[in-house]
Amino acid sequence: MKLLYRSSLRYLLRHPAQVLLAILGVALGVAVVIAIDLANGSAQRAFMLSTESVTGKTTDQILAGQNGLSSDLYAQLRTELGLSAVAPVVDRTISLPNQPGRSFRLFGIDPFAEQPFRPYLATLFNNQTDLQALLTEPNTGLISAQTAQTLALTVGQTLETRIDGQRRNITIIGLIAGGDQLSQEALADLILVDIATAQELVGQPDRISRIDLILPEEQRSAILEQIKPLLPADATLTTPAARSETLQQMTRAFELNLQALSLLALIVGVFLIYNTMTFSVVQRRGLFGILRSLGVTRRELFSQILIEAAVIGTIGAILGVLLGIVLGRGLVRLVTQTINDLYFSVNVQNIAIDNIQLIKGFGLGLGATLIAASIPALEAMFSPPRTVLRRSSIEERIQRIVPRLTLAGLGLAGLGVALLQIPSRSLFLSFSAMFGVIIGCALFTPFVTLQMMRLLQIPLNRMFGLLGKMAARDVVAALSRTGVAIAALMVAVSVTVGAGTMIGSFRTTVVRWLDQSLQADVFVSAPSLSANRADTAIDLRLVEQIDQLPSVASMTTLLNLRVESELGPVQLAVANYQDSSLSRRALSFITDAEQAWQGFAEQGQVWVSEPFSYRYGRGLGDSITLQTERGPQQFTIAGVYYDYASDQGYISMNRRDFAKYWDVDTVHSITIWLAENADSATTISQIQALAAPIQDLKVQSNQALRQSTLEIFDRTFAITAVLQLLATIVAFIGILSALMALQLERSRELGVLRANGMTPRQLWLSVLSQTGLMGLTAGLLALPVGLILAVVLVYVINKRSFGWTMQLILDPNLLLQALIVAVVAALLAGLYPAWKMGRTSPALALREE
Amino acid sequence: MPEILINLDHVTKSFQEAGQARLVLRDINARIQQGEVIALLGRSGSGKSTLLNILSGIDAPSSGRITINDIELGQLNEHQRTLFRRQNIGFVFQFFNLIPTLSVEENVLLPLELAGRLTAAQRERAYELLRRVHLFDRRHVYPDKLSGGEQQRIAIARALAHDPLLILADEPTGNLDATTGQEVLNLLDEMSRQAGKTLLMVTHSLEVARRADRLLSMVDGQLVEHSLAEVEL
Repeated sequence: MKLLYRSSLRYLLRHPAQVLLAILGVALGVAVVIAIDLANGSAQRAFMLSTESVTGKTTDQILAGQNGLSSDLYAQLRTELGLSAVAPVVDRTISLPNQPGRSFRLFGIDPFAEQPFRPYLATLFNNQTDLQALLTEPNTGLISAQTAQTLALTVGQTLETRIDGQRRNITIIGLIAGGDQLSQEALADLILVDIATAQELVGQPDRISRIDLILPEEQRSAILEQIKPLLPADATLTTPAARSETLQQMTRAFELNLQALSLLALIVGVFLIYNTMTFSVVQRRGLFGILRSLGVTRRELFSQILIEAAVIGTIGAILGVLLGIVLGRGLVRLVTQTINDLYFSVNVQNIAIDNIQLIKGFGLGLGATLIAASIPALEAMFSPPRTVLRRSSIEERIQRIVPRLTLAGLGLAGLGVALLQIPSRSLFLSFSAMFGVIIGCALFTPFVTLQMMRLLQIPLNRMFGLLGKMAARDVVAALSRTGVAIAALMVAVSVTVGAGTMIGSFRTTVVRWLDQSLQADVFVSAPSLSANRADTAIDLRLVEQIDQLPSVASMTTLLNLRVESELGPVQLAVANYQDSSLSRRALSFITDAEQAWQGFAEQGQVWVSEPFSYRYGRGLGDSITLQTERGPQQFTIAGVYYDYASDQGYISMNRRDFAKYWDVDTVHSITIWLAENADSATTISQIQALAAPIQDLKVQSNQALRQSTLEIFDRTFAITAVLQLLATIVAFIGILSALMALQLERSRELGVLRANGMTPRQLWLSVLSQTGLMGLTAGLLALPVGLILAVVLVYVINKRSFGWTMQLILDPNLLLQALIVAVVAALLAGLYPAWKMGRTSPALALREE
Repeated sequence: MPEILINLDHVTKSFQEAGQARLVLRDINARIQQGEVIALLGRSGSGKSTLLNILSGIDAPSSGRITINDIELGQLNEHQRTLFRRQNIGFVFQFFNLIPTLSVEENVLLPLELAGRLTAAQRERAYELLRRVHLFDRRHVYPDKLSGGEQQRIAIARALAHDPLLILADEPTGNLDATTGQEVLNLLDEMSRQAGKTLLMVTHSLEVARRADRLLSMVDGQLVEHSLAEVEL
């Protein structure tokens, strides 16, 4: 190894704590990015696998409307059009009572039509015993070997399921061999039954969820044209790819938000690397001077520093990748939970480790390290090769460039603000602008630090004497490093303030919205797979019985369904108000409420929720064409209302109007207003007693529903809190590393002070007051920056991601906490250097290295 | 007649301080022959170190020409000056300035490695130098385990390792006690004279001045030649 590199390696080995902290900083930054990527990727992969497992080689699909497709259509396609590759499917998401939180897919097929579609079913056709049993024995099904193992089931045993709130048993008569690992995973949540069994289990005889087709490419268009006239009005002809794309689009904003948060952790990590490398350059300024005097060229010096950074970056990134995989396993549960709560059912069995994601994370970590290190490396490269390059001259230079840094910061932050003004919905643009604002504010840090220290010198002198004054001056004297450490801590704390304020504002907005919208006394729904959607039918006998209870004064029934529209599949909420005056108080309109109610009640018009209006750009007076059972039908929007239940948005329709275009007689939820003097607990017991023989029902009081809604809200933001914490840990390591390096560099100065009579207690005071001042500066600066971030998050990012309007709520406790976190983190970071210097004998500290 | 190694022609150097130019070297003209040992005297801040920096190509003059071994430093860019330095200049500093993360042997080998690939002969030459400074047995230890005198002996071995034309010594005994300083001086004098090297030593020491072939001093930014008698007076 060349002597220069050997010297570098030994330098790193001689400063293990410094190097370890730098490695840890890179590792944590990379780990957070990898973990989020893996968690998102695993959820996506699980979704894709589950789609592929039920799609197979299908090229086109006919999707049913609300009442399913008739079996006659299937017969028509085979006989009239002469199509051979046609397969009817009953596809329903169901749950198992003993597997809470996990969804399964009841998949009913016609084994004779199946063969060309799903290759993994080939084994089924090889096993005539299974096939015969499946066709002839009632309520029989097949599951994958892996699922059988997970559920501890063997062939012949019964699987208890819950379909539309009703318990149904399926006897397992065989196992599907999935072949490779991928097929096994794809089959993991599938319960395969004969189509007739499926129709019976879901209570819709002769109805089909969809018809799969394999059409030859050259005749595809012609055949599709022949199919179209045969379809009922509410059926949709689509491709599997288009369908899964629509579903995946739903989670894109959510995933992008997580990725942006994870990048913040990496940015803080980059500050840390920059700090470490700058320190290592400043610490060796004399050494580099000697090397340059001995004939080491600028390029050689530059590559020496970059190679050191590459070593740190490589080790850190490798560790980060490993740590990211571990962290990803934890985060995937949180991500999946949120997707299940807010979007669609997805089961993640295993974390999918994608090599490309790992390489990307590794490259990001190493690249960020090299970029961060290149600045101090350039500084070293262009420093004059004088043998004694005084630190003071470097500090003077830094102080000279402070005005330029501040201007650059203003420019960058201004550019960020300007980008935010562009009326675009691009989240990439919004996040880039937000990062511009954050980094721009970080560049103000040295200026603010200088001003703060100037201001604080006098009070500190009064409080602690010369030592206090020295603490403030030392922060300024080492601004090249203190500035970066303060900036890193400031960024982390401001993110805490920004994200905390956003979540707090969002929560308060939701609480206020719940207070207003949950006006009724009791809420009834059938257990659903999704936490925030009621989409399981309530038995109509029960609806009638509940209506007749003496304690029920009035009720509103609701039906949620997905319908096709000119805008793609949309969520339709159908309400049947017995007494609309009661509900008037519950809904809050952005547009004129009177006009909204009049259009809704009297003119066959619809309402849309705010996220819907934002997402699709449709507002008051606009119209939407929905695919009804009577064909396409145009509806005018009578009003836009506030709603925080779904970021996909809703169209709300009057039940009377709905009945004109659809023959769907289903109720998904009921809201009940009690008669005067009626007691909600008694009514809940009565409803539960009514439901017991028929169906499982979730009957909640106003208070309980409010509580469970807020629980979902808090669960949704659990992952944000985890990411925030990780960013703060990275920042803490950053400031610890910076302060440790700074204080250890002061060892000679502290040795002189100790030799002149400074007690170890005074030394502690000196070190801690300096680090405390840095924490205070970071904390104070983080408050306005955090609030700017909060404004951007609340009014721009959230609006563009989800379409919700929120009120900005400032929480003084949060601000105080942030300030305390900054100061305490900085004080904690000063403990080790203070302890170490306190134990070092002044004689040793005074020795030259 | 010995060849002229260094030629300084109307060399000036000024620094900007608080927006004003401070002239450190004023119109310096001098010739130094190959193999000469020269003591450079002067008060602190008189510009001695600046002159050494300019001679080594670390710093460039504000005006004037410097020629070393017929190479005009002003014609070289920064990179070429660095390469010139690594081939032709050996440094001995007041505070030794050894590389703390390299062993004694590696410190001596460093200039050889910087100048190109290390050969067995070069390595042997480094070992020979270590033997001459009586530190061959301690070649594997790190500089912080050596006394000041030992560190300076290693610095002398390092300065001679790559067979430079010119050795620049900036107060080489300034940080040593009288006896150790004497030993180091003997070694530096002896080794550079034996190797026929030109040695320019910045010093405050009369003892050093006595050993020099010529005595120069920096007075008001100008180079003045003195006799030993003048200096002793």
